[in-house]
Amino acid sequence: MDKEESLCTNTWTQTNRGNGLQTNLSSDPSSSDYGVRVETPFKDFNQPSQMQSLLSKNVTKIAVQENCAPSDLSGTNILQNWDASLMLNNLSFLEKKVHQLQEIVCLIASQKGQTFGERNELLTQEQQLITSDLTSIIVQLISSAGSLLPSARHTLTNTSPLIQQLCQLQGITVPSASGSGQSSVQPQINGANKLSESSVQNDQSNNCELEQKYKVEEHELKDEEDGDDGENLLPGSYEILQLEKEEILAPHTHFCTICGKGFKRDANLRMHMRGHGDEYKTAAALAKPHKESESQPELIKRYSCPYAGCKRNKDHKKFQPLKTILCVKNHYKRTHCDKNYTCSRCHIKKFSVMADLKTHEKHCGKDKWLCSCGTTFSRKDKLFGHIALFQGHTPAIPMEDNRRTTCLPDHDNQDNSKARGMSFSFGLNPSSENGVQNVMDVKGNMDDPVTCFSPLNFEANFGGYNEFTQPQFDDSEGSFSFLIPESFKSGGVSSSDNVL
Amino acid sequence: MSESLLCVLTEDLLIRVLHHLHSHADRKSWRLVCKHLHRVESLTRTTIRILRIEFLLSLLHKFPNIQELDLSLCPRIDDGAVRIMLTQGSPTWTRGLKRLLLSRATGLGHSGLEQLVRACPLLEAVDVSHCWSFGDREAAAISCGTGLREVNMDKCLGLTDIGLARIAVGCSRLQSLSLKWCFEISDLAVDLLCKKCLHLKFLDVSYLKLLIWFSVLTHHPIPLIFGLMFIFCCFTTPERVEITSESLQSIASLLNLEVLVMVGCSLVDDAGLRYLENGCPLLKAIDVSRCNCISSSGLISLVSGHQDLVQIGAGYCLSELSAPLVHCLKNLKQLSVIRIDGVRVSDFILQTIGKNCKSIVELGLSKCVGVTNMGIMQLVSGCDSLKILDLTCCRSITDAAISTIADSCPDLVCLRLESCDMVTENCIYHLGSSCLLLEELDLTDCSGINDTALKYLSGCSELLRLKLGLCTNISDIGLSHIAYSCPKIAELDLYRCVYIGDDGLAALASGCRKLMKLNVSYCNRITDKGMEYLSHLSELSELEMRGLSNVTSIGIKAVALSCKRLADLDLKHCEKIDDSGFWALAFYSQNLRQINLSNCNVSDVVLCLLMGNLKRLQDAKLVHLFKVTVKGVELALRACCGRIKKVKLQSSLRFLISLEILETLQARGCKVRWD
Repeated sequence: MDKEESLCTNTWTQTNRGNGLQTNLSSDPSSSDYGVRVETPFKDFNQPSQMQSLLSKNVTKIAVQENCAPSDLSGTNILQNWDASLMLNNLSFLEKKVHQLQEIVCLIASQKGQTFGERNELLTQEQQLITSDLTSIIVQLISSAGSLLPSARHTLTNTSPLIQQLCQLQGITVPSASGSGQSSVQPQINGANKLSESSVQNDQSNNCELEQKYKVEEHELKDEEDGDDGENLLPGSYEILQLEKEEILAPHTHFCTICGKGFKRDANLRMHMRGHGDEYKTAAALAKPHKESESQPELIKRYSCPYAGCKRNKDHKKFQPLKTILCVKNHYKRTHCDKNYTCSRCHIKKFSVMADLKTHEKHCGKDKWLCSCGTTFSRKDKLFGHIALFQGHTPAIPMEDNRRTTCLPDHDNQDNSKARGMSFSFGLNPSSENGVQNVMDVKGNMDDPVTCFSPLNFEANFGGYNEFTQPQFDDSEGSFSFLIPESFKSGGVSSSDNVL
Repeated sequence: MSESLLCVLTEDLLIRVLHHLHSHADRKSWRLVCKHLHRVESLTRTTIRILRIEFLLSLLHKFPNIQELDLSLCPRIDDGAVRIMLTQGSPTWTRGLKRLLLSRATGLGHSGLEQLVRACPLLEAVDVSHCWSFGDREAAAISCGTGLREVNMDKCLGLTDIGLARIAVGCSRLQSLSLKWCFEISDLAVDLLCKKCLHLKFLDVSYLKLLIWFSVLTHHPIPLIFGLMFIFCCFTTPERVEITSESLQSIASLLNLEVLVMVGCSLVDDAGLRYLENGCPLLKAIDVSRCNCISSSGLISLVSGHQDLVQIGAGYCLSELSAPLVHCLKNLKQLSVIRIDGVRVSDFILQTIGKNCKSIVELGLSKCVGVTNMGIMQLVSGCDSLKILDLTCCRSITDAAISTIADSCPDLVCLRLESCDMVTENCIYHLGSSCLLLEELDLTDCSGINDTALKYLSGCSELLRLKLGLCTNISDIGLSHIAYSCPKIAELDLYRCVYIGDDGLAALASGCRKLMKLNVSYCNRITDKGMEYLSHLSELSELEMRGLSNVTSIGIKAVALSCKRLADLDLKHCEKIDDSGFWALAFYSQNLRQINLSNCNVSDVVLCLLMGNLKRLQDAKLVHLFKVTVKGVELALRACCGRIKKVKLQSSLRFLISLEILETLQARGCKVRWD
């Protein structure tokens, strides 16, 4: 315990110094303490190096704890061969630690009445340490439980996903630490988005703000609903909540983090929160909604779909829980509800979640890359990747870019040829009626592929100019012979001129 | 008597004899001997080139064993014609067809193409090059031929990645693909192609849009704005350039590739060539001409990876041929063709090439800077197997160098000396006495060439192609030397040889009976008499006679009457020819395929007649016809619009000609150029 405390104070002073520096750096010296307190998380957020140090301290502390408990035997190889006595040791150690923590929390609670000003800041630091301790306890708890299952060994050797989750958890409980945890461990979450989001809601209390942030992130990453399958939470290591169908479909946007009940307005949620205990009745308490749960290690909450037989339903053999209430909502609507929102552009695609419709409408019509299998792609390279992957698939050619129709409509042709005949008779020497006839024929030809081989064509052509006496052309026979090959008389000689 | 003699020969023997006849004229004579020989010829014939669609069906009946059908010179091939061919022709003709040549068949639509391709189960090759209106649909039609090995889609301007992907997926056995000038193709499709068509041996990606644009800029002013936009994109986002290398990376994965042509791919850089260094193990020939972004180091890495390289084309891509690169070339034992046009070279470099690349057969040094007598002499002293040497515009070359070439390279077949001003009769003497195998000689713009030189040259009796354009010092006397000693000449260029007159043409007509291509533009001494001499050249198919101000209708009528094979005629600025001359053309020159009537004295009626009557006409240039009205042009266009593929008109007519005609032309696959 002493060792623990000294360690704690050590890290605390260090971080405190860091924060002091931050405070000094802040340009306005007259800023209230409260202001500083609110400010620091964001400063921290902007300074990844310090974040790193904070985080690394947490991690090293976990390591130290493991070292100081020899029964734990920090390696993973030991966990592989499980025996009961070792487990017992682990559990007793954990129990001790929980007690220690309990005492610290009690101490803080007793100090709480007197703490103001700078003490308040110290308090935050202490809370951080408590949560990190809690984290380590949960890690150990899970790891010792995991040693029971050989299949879970892999996740133990690679603890990073666990830490990641825990840091998320930490984020919910303690605002200042959460920033660091997310930013360093979860780089895929858009930091800029978070920043802007938080700056918008700067006036709110830290806690609410972070909750908001979380919702936003969940909304952004709504596809994670199916992507969280790999989290490998052990059955029983989390609490399963199942909301009723009516509740899921209610148009709520604010959810109670304790019981999961949804509300239309944040104010209503606050009213509701009061029912969870007296501590929610003050503004200060509102900033720490998880205080109650800190006294005992809180179970991770996961959600179940109320639809029987669904893989997301807790009674399913291969149950895969849903991470958040929003996931539940989206999942339920997508899989078990009618698709009521139709795209206003294509009038084909239907959605049950409004956000999906919006996303689709953003890209609707841009999916111009179509495969022969019917799949559409918004990007050409995606289509080509698809084609390269699947044997026999080819890109489909869209119908609308039919540049050149090979055959003009029939009535058009009729009109055209008539018009041409007319105009020609104006231009040509009116004395030769044959000439008119002949050119009309020429036109008939080009519109109708059959008539272009007609023998009339040739005769007519020379009708107008028969004053030109000339040797018999191959043409005369040829144009006959095209349709009636039998009439080909001296074919060998005449046709030989027409082939190379 | 003779017939009975022929009856003794079995068909087997006749077929053997027939195999040795290659020229069209010889085969024609063979066919005319007797029915028996005609039948043998018909049965053994495997390739056929249709000149007029009217005869197509009967010809298909006549030649039952056709494997290659060439419709590229046939006007009016459209979907309807294809339908008739397939429904009314003999049912078996498509069964054995392996090659289908449809180059410039712009009237064909995708449905007709698809019907054709589907009807030929053994089809191996399709050529639709220069069908500028073709695009993805046509590519999709081609992709129905699953057995295709060879596809040529040069200048199918509408082809995009989608179309290429169709071909890549549909024709997985593809071995040869040419995509020159398909500007819409990007690296994506090239990548897919390389993944799907693993048997590719030949690939031409010259002037592809993503890989180039610079040369598009210089060659085609119209897409300038797009080019600029593209370049902007390239320079602002460097990963664009990366894509190009990626394309080469995927090409490098082709294990069977032997020939890679990528002329004018300005975004290909050394990094891309380095991908090739380790890929394409069978690469035999590569052409990186006009790839502005590559340097010697890239070429060195390429060369060091492929020791079996036979052919290298690197013109206009390096500023200077560096010594290390030449050093690398030394290791290529098989190297036989090098083209390094437009590169700065030095005597030392040429000497190194001469010393090390002993097996070189073809060397292109066109427009190279720094080519001197000394360099050439050192070069050729080593390369005695040289057959083709291009020294175009190497202006400091003199007689000494050419004489050395003549002495050291007895096998020389082709020598190009355009604009080598210092060349005189002295070196031609050496050529005429030593290089007896010479077939092609380009002396364009060599003012040192005179009648004596031509007399010496007449020793090269194998000459096929001779270019004497702008050699203003030659006269009829010199030409008659050539005419009497070089009977094989098929192509002769006398552009602006102003002292050439009727006598020279008389000598040509009597000596060079095989002349097919003749250019007598601006030889103003030529009169109707000369044209009458020319009319004896029965093989003549291309005649360019611009600006012959002394030739009248009588002369052109003589040519039209006798030169039955005349296909390409340029009469620009022949202002003395009047309507009667053009009437004669309209009625007698039924094989005319291209005609240039710019600045001619033709009237409305005769123009209409000409355009309507010439059934094979595919390309007409009708600019500055001062006697023709807008109405006349419209009527002429209407008269020919079913078959014409390209027409050049005065730009002032652009908004005077009715839109409907232009649209019809467009719809029939005819391209209108505005001058």
